[in-house]
Amino acid sequence: MATHAPLSEVREKPNPAIPVVVAIAAWIVPGLGHLLLRRWGRAIGFFVATAGLALAGYALRGEIFSHHSTDPFGALGFIADLGSGVFYFVSHLVETAGPDLSRASGDYGTRMLAAAGIVNLLGVIDAFGIARGRRG
Amino acid sequence: MVIFALLVSVAFACVGRHTAATRIKYALLSFLLFLAIGIGVAWLMYPLSR
Repeated sequence: MATHAPLSEVREKPNPAIPVVVAIAAWIVPGLGHLLLRRWGRAIGFFVATAGLALAGYALRGEIFSHHSTDPFGALGFIADLGSGVFYFVSHLVETAGPDLSRASGDYGTRMLAAAGIVNLLGVIDAFGIARGRRG
Repeated sequence: MVIFALLVSVAFACVGRHTAATRIKYALLSFLLFLAIGIGVAWLMYPLSR
């Protein structure tokens, strides 16, 4: 005769897809992953940090790397820029004048755009860890 | 540099601390360290630019 575990001992297994969904959401829209996890402070913080860096980078007319880059620094720059999610995909709509690397401000803008992507990737990792229950 | 330091400090504080008060303190400390180290390294490199 089969025995069944008491109801109190039955535990729902966490859905393994949830952390992945949260991570993708956090990448596409900065802060969205934390929003889904009801971590309001982190959601606002990551959105403000990523958006601020990206918009400052556009205002300074930094270079936005594309997947066509042939040199290793361009490829790394593309990966960093891509990390900012939606801010990368709408970059051609925001920075219509194109990059201006003849001035130092353009160089600062390039670094800020890369930093926006890296900060968002930090948020993705944080959201993924929280969703897996590894972080508070 | 100030904008960069401020925004990155906000992100670091969100990851590193869990309450609003500790986040603010951590972000402020991080921001001041960014500025101090940035300006300090700039002055150290100044003789090399001449």
